[in-house]
This record gives sequence, C-alpha cells and structure tokens, in this order.
Amino acid sequence: MANKRSTNGGIERIYVWQLPVRLTHWLIFFSIIVLSATGYYIGHPFISVSGPARDHFVMGTARAVHLYAAIVFTLSAAVRIYWMFAGNAYARLTQLVPLAGERLGNLWQTALFYSFIRRHPEAYPGHNALAGAFYALVFVIYLAMVATGLALYTVVAAAGSPFRAFDFLVPLFYGLQMARLIHHIGMWFLLIFAVAHVYFVLLSSITERIGTVDSMFSGYKFLPRRRAGAR
Amino acid sequence: MSYHRLSDELEYRGISRRDFLGFCASMAAVLGLPEGAGRAIAAAVENEPKPILIWLEFQDCAGNTESFLRASHPTVADLILDSISLNYHETLMAAAGSQAEDALAQTVRDNAGKYIALVEGSVPTGANGAYCTIGGRSALHIAREVCGAAAATIAVGTCAAFGGIPAARPNPTGALSVGDAVPDVKNLINMSACPANAENITALIVYYMTLKRWPPLDQYRRPLFAYGKAIHDNCERRAHFDAGQYVEAWGDEAHRHGHCLYKMGCKGPATSQNCPVVRWNEGTNWPIGCGHPCIGCAEPNFWDTMTPFYRRLPDVAGFSVGEWVDPVGLGLAGVTTAAVVAHGVGMAVRRRVGEGASKEDESEVE
Ligand code: SF4
Repeated sequence: MANKRSTNGGIERIYVWQLPVRLTHWLIFFSIIVLSATGYYIGHPFISVSGPARDHFVMGTARAVHLYAAIVFTLSAAVRIYWMFAGNAYARLTQLVPLAGERLGNLWQTALFYSFIRRHPEAYPGHNALAGAFYALVFVIYLAMVATGLALYTVVAAAGSPFRAFDFLVPLFYGLQMARLIHHIGMWFLLIFAVAHVYFVLLSSITERIGTVDSMFSGYKFLPRRRAGAR
Repeated sequence: MSYHRLSDELEYRGISRRDFLGFCASMAAVLGLPEGAGRAIAAAVENEPKPILIWLEFQDCAGNTESFLRASHPTVADLILDSISLNYHETLMAAAGSQAEDALAQTVRDNAGKYIALVEGSVPTGANGAYCTIGGRSALHIAREVCGAAAATIAVGTCAAFGGIPAARPNPTGALSVGDAVPDVKNLINMSACPANAENITALIVYYMTLKRWPPLDQYRRPLFAYGKAIHDNCERRAHFDAGQYVEAWGDEAHRHGHCLYKMGCKGPATSQNCPVVRWNEGTNWPIGCGHPCIGCAEPNFWDTMTPFYRRLPDVAGFSVGEWVDPVGLGLAGVTTAAVVAHGVGMAVRRRVGEGASKEDESEVE
C-alpha cells in the first residue's frame, strides 16, 4: 500500500482496485456462474434419473448449492456496495453513476470510441464512465435478484426462521410466480452483461495498454504519466 | 334457538360419544395443538353457546357451499357449520324472498357485535354494485351492513379472500375481496382456496369456541395452522422432486410411478396450504395425490399469476412471457456474443487500417 503511485520512466503505476473490490469481484463472478448453472437446472430440470428416489439427490443438490452460492453472492454484493461509500476514489458510487460533468464527458467519448467515431479511447485509471453506468445497472439487478430470491425462499423457510421476515417482499412482486419470472429475466441480463463485460475489458486491455485485465488480480494499472489524473 | 348446546343435538342426531371425541381430536390435529387439546375442544364444543353464523354469498360459483354440502356422510362438522346456528344462508335456508331477508335483518339487529359473518364470493363495485344485488340491495351494501356489525368476518374461498376469478384481469365488474371492499371490518380472516377446505373452516370456528380468540395469521390474514407451510414442503411426491424424477407428459412412465409434477407446472412450490395433510373430501385424496399439479388456488391473484397452469412460469398481461423468457434470454446472449465478436473484428480492422496514420493519432489522446 506504501507505493500507491510509483513512476518508472513515463509510466505511472497506480493502485486502483483495493482488495475488497477485487475479492468481491471474483466472488460475485464465481457465484454467478454457479447460481446460473444451478438456477437453470432448477427452472428446467433436464437431468432425469431412474430407480428409487432415495438413491438420488440431483435437484436437492442443485438447490443446496444454489442457496449457498446465493449467500456468497449476497454478502459479496453487500460488501461491494458498502465499499462504494468506504473505498478509494475508484470504488466510489460517483464512479458508477455518471453525474459529474467530467464523467458525462467521458461517457460520451467512450461511446464515440466504441462506435468507431473516436479513434483512441480516453485512458482512465478507474472504470470508464460508460462501463461505470452499466455497473450501476448491474447492481440494481443484483438487488432485484437478491430480493426475488429472498421472496422465493420465504415460502420454503422453516416456520420461525428469520428468513420468513422477508415475506413482505412477496406482494411487492405481485406474488411468488412473478418473483420467479423476474428471477429468470435477471439471470439473462447478468449473463448477457458478462459477455459484454469480458469483451470490453479485453478491448480496453488491448487498446489502452494500461493493464486492465491484470488490474483485477493485482490491483494496479499502468498509465502514462500525463494521463494519470485520478479524476 | 341460536344459543342451544351441541350435546343435546348430538344425542338427538345419534352421533356417538366416540365419534364426537374422534372429531375433537382431529380438529386438534388440524390446528396443530398438542394431545390434551382434544379434551379442551370437546368441553368447549359441548358446553359453550355456539357462535351465530351468517353466511353471505356474493359473486362466485357457490363452490364453497358445495364443498360443505358434498360431505359423504353427516359429520359433527356439518352440525357445527350448517345445522345449528347458521341463521342465514341463501342456498341452504328454507325461507325465501322477504322472509329470508327479514331473518337476516333480525339476526343482525338482535346480535350486533356478536355474530360471525362468513362471506363467500367477491364484492363487485363496478356499475354502482349492479352486478350483484340481493333483494334489491348491492353486495357492497349488504357486506357493509352485515360485516360491519359482526364480531368477526371470515372470507371463505379465494374470491372473498382475494377477489379470485371475478377479480382476475381485466376484472370487468370491479370485483374486490371482502377485506378491500369493507376495509374496517373487525377480525377479518381469509380462508382462501378454491374452494376453501371445509375442514379448515370448521377448525377455525372450533378454535374460536375453545380459546375465545382467533388464531395467529400470516401477512394475508390467513390462519397459520392452515396456511403456514408450502404445499411443496409436505407433498408426498417431494422425494421425487429432490431426486430429480419428473413427469414429462400425462400418463408417461413417471406419471404412473407417481413422480413429481414440477415440470407439468405444479404450483406447490408457490402455494401455502395444508392440503397434503388434511386433504379433501374427508381425507379421501387431493389434487397432487391423484396426479394433477397444484394450481395455486389459495394464493392472491392466483388466476393472473398461476396461469398457465401447466407451465412453470406465468404469462404477463396475456403475453406468453413465461414460456419465452428462457429461449429469448438464451437467444439474446447468443446475439450479444456475435455482436461483440463482430465489434472486435471491426476494432482490429480499424487498427490495421489506421496504423499508417498513427503519428497523427497521438495528439488526439490529450
Ligand atoms: S408435485 Fe408439486 S408440490 Fe409435490 S413435490 Fe412436485 S412440485 Fe412440489
């Protein structure tokens, strides 16, 4: 942490992603993979087994894994949301919701770059503003997934379980079936987002050459000195 | 007449003491009370004055009344529910016309604040209540008057509890549940399901007679003893659900083996009621027991959110959203993948083309 910024020649090494950001990123990543795979099976049980029921536990296992992964996901998302208020400049809510004029400008420039109009991207140590705006949307979907998931869980939670306290969510979604439908739609949003996210991170890595992919492991990005302003 | 005791009636009807105690024990079981409760129930049912019941029927199919009438042999429950203190019931009472309406008016007048109103059917509020009138008065008018002066109002069946089928989209008559139509009634209890289970209604009244209070309710004002658990959690096919053994088509091998009906659209996982335990028609059977998926009839908005009955996910406002959400999601994911690949190719091509002019680009960065 001592050398948050260090320069070597014209290149500056900047500590962008703090540990909670990286950790929650990968926990959310893995839990979404697990949740989507088990969730798809729960919605469409494509594996059928024969013989006595006592010999198998396919759906039971899928549900158990789904529920534990949901705990990991929910807690990770909660920590990341907390870090939007407690973290460094790059982790903050202002990086996600583009309200400042400079962020809006960056959003526009990034859009121009993606649509082949601008030739080179505006290199920026944190999220570009367009990506940030999408992450804000993704966090809204996370909340919807957690809320619909909790609503669906209340009905099978044991009598007296504290999870029963979330049953007020059920009428908000117009019943359990609508919550289930939203839960399905949310999964597809997140998977589609994931495809686009991986692509744009690779694109940024290649075109900006600032170590975008590496940064989610190491925390550091490398920017030419004159472009390295934090905000 | 309305305050006489059950013990005389039992003797007169030739119901043995043994049958009577059996009934009380079964009520204790439905209510989930401990073993000794059967005796307390017997004492209360035998000796306490029976509550006076008024049964109103509004916009529905009379299915709840039918459900009571179709008991295969007269039980103690019938006695409690319809023989003794049911002072008004349009379908069952001998009186008709103004004679019947006078009986209602008199019961309300003489027993204000003491009787229990059981309401079957939704209350239509459209066209000034003209869709359902009895003796020239609208259902809303009658509900206000009768439920307003009742010690408790029991909404029997999903139409009365949540609006049910009459209130389903597009709700042409402006149908409301009793609770929504007359919001200020005292001790509203919703006994949903289509029809409500007679066993649960009886148990509710027995509970009140024994303990002099109403049972704990869930957020939809349904008693927890009857609606506290998901059907799915007490279902006899649950082992097949957890194993991964599903009926794929009517009458297939899995169906004949009694496997889980989840893929046939079973709404047991979204519905709370004690059907798997209490069953229907004096414990003869219940829908899932005889091979049909649960349709979720005990839940609010069931017609709008539990349909299509044979699919897992609901339609939205008449569009087959539930059927298409996953195929469309998969398709969009594919389209997105193709789009980003195409975008990547475009970026690569431009880099190559723009290579010659790279010196001039440097200035653009700043
Ligand atoms: S038949 Fe319905 S209620 Fe029973 S285990 Fe299967 S899904 Fe659940």
